Order: sequence, then C-alpha cells, then structure tokens
Amino acid sequence: MGKKLRWRVLLIVVVVAAAIGGYVFTGYSHAKKEWTGPGGPSFKDALKSAIKLGLDLRGGIHLVLQVNTADALKAERDDAVETLKNQTKDAAIGAIELPTDTSFAIGITPQTDLTKLEEAAKRFLPDWNYSTGGGKWTFTLKEPARRQTEENAVAQAVETIRNRVDEFGVAEPLIAREGADRILVQLPGIDDPKRVKDLIKNTAFLELTLVEAGPSSEAALKATFPGGVVPPQFKLVEGKAESGTHERTYYVVRKQAVITGRDLKNARPTQGQFGAHSITFFLTASGSQKFGEATGANIGKRLAIVLDNRVQSAPNIKDRITETGVIEGSFSPEEANDLALVLRAGALPAGLVYLEERTVGPSLGLDSIRKGVTASVAGALLVFVAMAVYYRRAGWNAIIALVLNGLLLAAAMSLFEATLTLPGIAGFILTIGMAVDSNVLVFERIREELRNGRAPKAAIENGFSKAFATIVDTHATTIISALFLLQFGTGPVKGFAVTLIIGLLISMFTAVFVSHTIFELEYGRRQHIDSVSI
Amino acid sequence: MEFFRQTNIDFLKYKWWAIGASWALIALGLFTIFVQKGLKFGIDFSGGTAIAVRFAERPDIDRLRKILDGAGLGEIGIQRYEEADKNEVLIRVQQQKKEGRDVAGDVLKTLRQGLASPTDPGKIDLNTEGKGTLAARLTAADPDKVSGRSDVTAGDYYTQAAERVIGKRSSLGLFHAAADVNGVEGISAPVKAWFQANAYTGPFVLLSAENVGPQVGADLQKKALLAVIWSTVGMLAYVAFRFRSLPFGVGAVVALVHDTLITVGLLALFGREFNLVVVAALLTLIGYSMNDTVVVYDRVRENQKTPKKEPLEALINRSINQTLSRTILTSGATMLVVLALYFLGGEVLHTFALTLIIGIVVGTYSSIYVAAAIVVIWKDFKNRRRLAVVPAPVRAEPIAPSGPPPASKKNSKRR
Repeated sequence: MGKKLRWRVLLIVVVVAAAIGGYVFTGYSHAKKEWTGPGGPSFKDALKSAIKLGLDLRGGIHLVLQVNTADALKAERDDAVETLKNQTKDAAIGAIELPTDTSFAIGITPQTDLTKLEEAAKRFLPDWNYSTGGGKWTFTLKEPARRQTEENAVAQAVETIRNRVDEFGVAEPLIAREGADRILVQLPGIDDPKRVKDLIKNTAFLELTLVEAGPSSEAALKATFPGGVVPPQFKLVEGKAESGTHERTYYVVRKQAVITGRDLKNARPTQGQFGAHSITFFLTASGSQKFGEATGANIGKRLAIVLDNRVQSAPNIKDRITETGVIEGSFSPEEANDLALVLRAGALPAGLVYLEERTVGPSLGLDSIRKGVTASVAGALLVFVAMAVYYRRAGWNAIIALVLNGLLLAAAMSLFEATLTLPGIAGFILTIGMAVDSNVLVFERIREELRNGRAPKAAIENGFSKAFATIVDTHATTIISALFLLQFGTGPVKGFAVTLIIGLLISMFTAVFVSHTIFELEYGRRQHIDSVSI
Repeated sequence: MEFFRQTNIDFLKYKWWAIGASWALIALGLFTIFVQKGLKFGIDFSGGTAIAVRFAERPDIDRLRKILDGAGLGEIGIQRYEEADKNEVLIRVQQQKKEGRDVAGDVLKTLRQGLASPTDPGKIDLNTEGKGTLAARLTAADPDKVSGRSDVTAGDYYTQAAERVIGKRSSLGLFHAAADVNGVEGISAPVKAWFQANAYTGPFVLLSAENVGPQVGADLQKKALLAVIWSTVGMLAYVAFRFRSLPFGVGAVVALVHDTLITVGLLALFGREFNLVVVAALLTLIGYSMNDTVVVYDRVRENQKTPKKEPLEALINRSINQTLSRTILTSGATMLVVLALYFLGGEVLHTFALTLIIGIVVGTYSSIYVAAAIVVIWKDFKNRRRLAVVPAPVRAEPIAPSGPPPASKKNSKRR
C-alpha cells in the first residue's frame, strides 16, 4: 500500500468513525432530554432519536397567525381620547368623533378654552398631530408612532404566545415572527389542536385584586369560611408554584378586580432602593384613577397580581398609587424581568386570526414513517441489485459508496440538527438514486477507456479524471435548484431541500474519493492486472 | 453486463419528428389546462380545508355528506383515502369567505354529533381527546391514589399513563372499544378500570387537518412561481458560465421549459392535484433535467477539442451515443427509486413520485432531442445564413412553423 493511499484510507476510516460516533452521541443526548421514565434510554432509543423529526412525521401543529394591528391602534386612540378628556375637563370641549383607527376629532364650541386644549394636546399627546378647521380639532397619530404601535403589538403578541406555550409545556416549540404582522407557531407532539388553538388565541387576563386571605393550603383557606364554602364575592386562586417544590398554595381574593390588563400601559424591571429588584408599571388615565382610589383606601392590605387565574405575586400596598407603581418583593433580576414581561405580555395587544393551520395526528406520522422507510429500503435494494448485476465487482464498489453516502447523510442530519420530514425521506432515497449517477459516469468512462485499449490501471485513472468535471457539473445543477427550493415553501418541502443538498455534497466525497480509493485498494497493489471486473 | 456497446444511432436524424411530438405534448397539456379541465390546485394554493379521518367501520360516504351539508360550510368534497380497507376518508371544504372560522373544528364537531350514538356527556371520547386532556382527567380522578405520595407528582404520573394510552391508539390505528385500553402496557389496573367506567370510543380518529386561508394560498402561489422561474434563471446562468456559448445555454433552458410544461400538462391531464410537494418535485426535476443535459454537453465540448474534421451534427450524435449508456443507466436507477416511492410511499408521496416519473422520462428525452437538437439547428441555421449561396434546402421547410423561436429571433436581428 502506497503512502498516499494509506492516508486516504485513514481519512475515510476517521470520517466514517466520526459520523457513527456523532450520530450515536447526538442520539443519546436527544433521547436523554426526552426521557421521563426510570433508568436511561437504551441504545435503540438513541438510534431512533438522533434525527429530529418534522411535524408531519412526529405529529403536531403548525399555525400561522395574523395579528390584527388595527386593534392596537384603536386602543392607542381610545387612550389618547381618554387622556385628553381628563386633562381638559374644564375647557368645555364639544363632541368627540372617531373617523378612523388612527384619528379622532374634538368638537369646538364657543365656550371651549382653546389655550387649555392646545396646552393639553402639546403636553400629553406628543405622538399626535392636530389640525383645526370645520369647527373641530382633528388629531392624527404620527407615522413613526403608528409604526411603533404596530411593531409593539406584534412583538408583544409573540411574547404572549410564547408565555402561554411555555406554560402549556410543549417540548421544542417554535414561535417566530414572519413578515410584518404574522406569527408562525410550531408545536411538535401536540395532539389536541382545539385546546392549543384556544389557549393561544385566548386573551390573557390580568387582574390586580385585593387579597382577602392566604397564601395557604386550599383546605385551610376554605375552613376559614362558614360551612367551608368561599362566599360569592370572593374566589379561590392558585398561587404560582415556588421553584423546587410541588406544594400548591392558594389565595382568596376579591372577584371584583381593582384594575385589569386593559388598564396597564407598560411595565418594566427597575432597581429600587438598596439595589433591590422591582417592577415599575404604568397605568392608563382611567386606570390611574381607579387604582388611586382603591389603593388609597386599602393601605396595608395585600394586592394580588393575578394572571390567567393564577397569583403571580401578592405585594403589600404601602401607599396610594395612581398612574405608576412599583411592585416590590424579593425578586432576583431575572424574576423581575420575567414579571415585567408577563405584565407587558399579559393580555394580547390585539386580536389574532388563524391564516394557516396544519395538524398531524400521531397515528398518521407513524404510518408515514413506516411507508417512507419501506419505500426507501425497497428503492435502495433495487438500485443495489441493478449495480451489482450490471457492473459486477465494480458494482459492489458503488454499493459501498452508496451505503456510506446514506450513513454520512444520516450523521450529518443529526449533527446539523436538520429536520427530517416525509418529503425529506423521499429526498434521502432520491439522493441515493442520483448519487449512483456519479458512479455510473466513472464506470462508463472506465469501460470506454478499456475498449480503447488502455491498460486497466490507466483506464481507472483516466475514468476518474475525465468524469470529474462532469460530476461537478451534475451536482452543481441539482444543488442550484435545491437552493431555490430551500427559499420556498413550508417545513416539509424545506426538509426535502435540506436532505437533497447535504446528500449531494456527501456524494461528491463518497462517489469520487471513496470509490477511487476502493479501486486502488483492489487493483493498485498488484503489479500486473489483466482485467477489471466492470 | 452491457446493454449499449458502442452504439451508433443517428438520433438527430429524427429531430424534426421529435420536435413535432414535443409540441404536440405541450399543446395537449396547455389545452387541458386552459381549455378543458384547468389546473387542479390543492389547498396549499387555492386555500380551503382538508381533513383526513379514519373510521372504525366502513363509512357511508353519502351519509357523511348529508351530515356535513347541514354545517353551512359551502361546497364539500368527500373521497376515500389511501387503501379502502383502512376506512379512511378525505374531507375537503371550500375556501370560506371570511378568514378565521375554525372549519376543521366545525367539521369534526358536526360529524361527531351526526354520527355518534348518544353517550354520557360526562364521559370522554378516547378517539378524540389528546394526552393533555386524558392526563388532566386522570389527575383529577386519581385512580392510583398518588396525590399523597412524595416520590412522584400526580401530574407527571398520569401524563405518562396518558402517553401510553395515546401511543397504543396510534399503533392500533384507533380504539374500537374502551376495552382496548386493557391492552395498554405499563398502566395500573385501577387506571384501566377508570377508563372502562369513564371513557367511550367515538366513531373516528383525526389523522390530519389542514386549513389554508386565501392570503397564505396566494402567497404560496407567488412563491412557487418565483422559485420555478428563478431556478430556471439560475440554470441559464450556470450553463452560460460553464459553456460560454449562447446556443448551448438556449438549448438547455428551452429543454427545461419544455420538461416543466409537459410535466405540468400531463399532471393536469391525469387530474392530479397541484400542491407544495409537487412544486418541490418540479424543482427537483429542473435540476435533474439539467443534469442530463450537462452530461451530453460536456461530452460535446470534450469532443470539439479533438482536431477531427466532423460536421457538428455527427459530432453531437457521437457524443449522445457515447453518453447513452450512462444516461439510460442513471435514469433507470433513479426510476427504480421513484417507482418504489410511487408504489410504497403512501398518499402524500404519490403525486410527488408521479411527477418525477414523468419528469425523468421527459428530461432524459429532452436532453437528446431538445437541448442537443437546438444546438444543431442553431448552428445549421447560422451556417446557411453565412453561406447564403443556395436557397434554403427542401428539408428546411418545416423550420418555419416548428423551429425554436430564439433561433429565428436572433437571426432576424442579424439580418
């Protein structure tokens, strides 16, 4: 064996070993993540879970939602109207009109105090342009502010959905923005589409309400009431589970909330005195008023922050709070951040519409895998038989290259975390069919060289070198079209393109480098060769 | 074994016949699309809803239709799906006027109400509910009394039990009776007993539901068209870069357009549905057809390098003959694989595989009779113009109606 040949064999062995090792390693790490029972995943489990399966194979839901940003604009407008009304109570303004989502008009009467109105508009509505005429002042939302509002609405909707999905406990969810106002949600393994759809579309309900009793256990709280029944003006709400414990705590709170998510304008994490982490929230004009009255009358009591019927925290009311307040507690920076996020993302800022929805039940996925694998195995066997019959020993050479191609492709897919879909399985087997082309090109060339009277060794060398340019060309054309395919379409089709591209790149290695090396191993050692089995 | 040992077939002798046949096929396809049937778009492109359901017993399609007609969903199509013995049907609902209605949910609800024999409303349908609901109900009932235990949480414990039950349903296809739960491994006798008392089996199980709104459908149509156009442009760019020759580039791209048109036309003729997966097959085909053409072109270029006096037509013929064995073998191997997908791959891959079957045949043929023939015709035409001594030979007569447009256009410019 020549020195050069030895290195080539070593390289192939290393690549194959790395591929097998990588595949098994990825398999174990995936299988461990999903493992719920006692013990650990077996070798078989690891082999099965090395490649991530697409929604169409493992079952799940794919949703495209559109955020109705007009809702957010309307809310912004209503807020502005409310603010202006409150700030110009003694300016005698006239009737209010709402011509579009982003504008409103205030009627002017002879009694209207225009100076006060202008002052209020300048001070409290910096995001609004106003013009006079026709006996009214027309306010229009400025373009940057409009864009910002829409932007915030979509970003907030994404956050809200993410919160809810996390709450629901889905493994590996995908929630991403798509374009200006669309959101893509993919939830693998979910088999209850209706429940999830409702959960996502549901407007998260945030309420700040006074605590009557708690936190305590359910039974202890009930026992404080006559007859063990919570009276109708109160309700029993579960507290957020403390991390690390499974104990459930409950609160009894007033049913009539002081303020709800609709009254909240914003919330952000802040650092208070002595560096303690807290959350500052801002209320709308009407919210401020309600909140001020309620907190002023209940200093010393506790206020529960309830989101979707679960108490997030229950701080003490220290003072009368109007438009802005601080929630203090023993928060870590992350907790403060998360709580602010929940407050912000609590309610959906705008309605959602389902534009696209694809559900695959678990049994269909199983069926698809079974059929895809059967077809692939049958297809591969047919190709193998054809190669062995047509090219004899050289055919076996091709079969080894093809098997390696399949092996490396599987390893690459697991290492790159590529997703295998049903069309992806088709891509897998199609790759095998197409990778044969490279072998065929070389073998035909070798046969031709032999016919032209060349010595076997030279024929093999010439066959590979002459076919090489063509092999590059054929791969390039298919990869170009697969790249355009990648740009287009949804999950399953993308999965097909990915499989095809990786498979073809690998076939450059297996069909040329590996196959050539095998030829040399077979014929290179001998001094004299009479014939080549091809 | 060897099928084609040094063949010497005069392929290009029949080029005018071939071009005529190509035009006839294209015309047939276009006639089907624009005059007769039109292109049958799947819901990916047309919008609408498709729901696949597996029944416990052989479903009476007429009865299903009657039930669903009452739901006010517009036009509804019901057909058997996959193998008939599996009792599967595919229900299609036309695009709704307003976005946002939960069509799939409504169809399932209507079917359930219309078919189910009256059952206790407090019981759960084992063929409908997902593992989340089963786990929640089990946790609430707690048949194994785990809520007081410190080593496990009831939620986790029953989620695992629910997963096992759903897993069994998946492998069985669907539950025929609540007693089937007794066959689930790894759940306790009290849990099984709880299922007997609190669960029943509905008449069907949902396999898949797809709902595409008109906006998304229009988007996907646009994207698909752009992907096909751009990948054709990409091919043109590649061939222009690799071969630096106009007739080669034009020949290759005309072959691509030819293959795409014929394949789409035949799919329309066979009444096949046009969806995302078919577009994926078409794009694959564009790559595949180019692949074949490039192999022939590569050989032509190589043969041109040898200083042998030989007319172009003979040279191209020789190149085609030299690559014939490879062409047939590769197409054959790919065909074997695609046939396996067609017969064994199931409903989703059926049309995908058919598209590739048509495409492989047409693509192989077009690399000889379209791509190579155009190069010959182009050069012939140019030579004749250059000589311009004798009037056009008799054989040139069919050129006028069926000759490739780019060739004549280019020529008229030079005049």
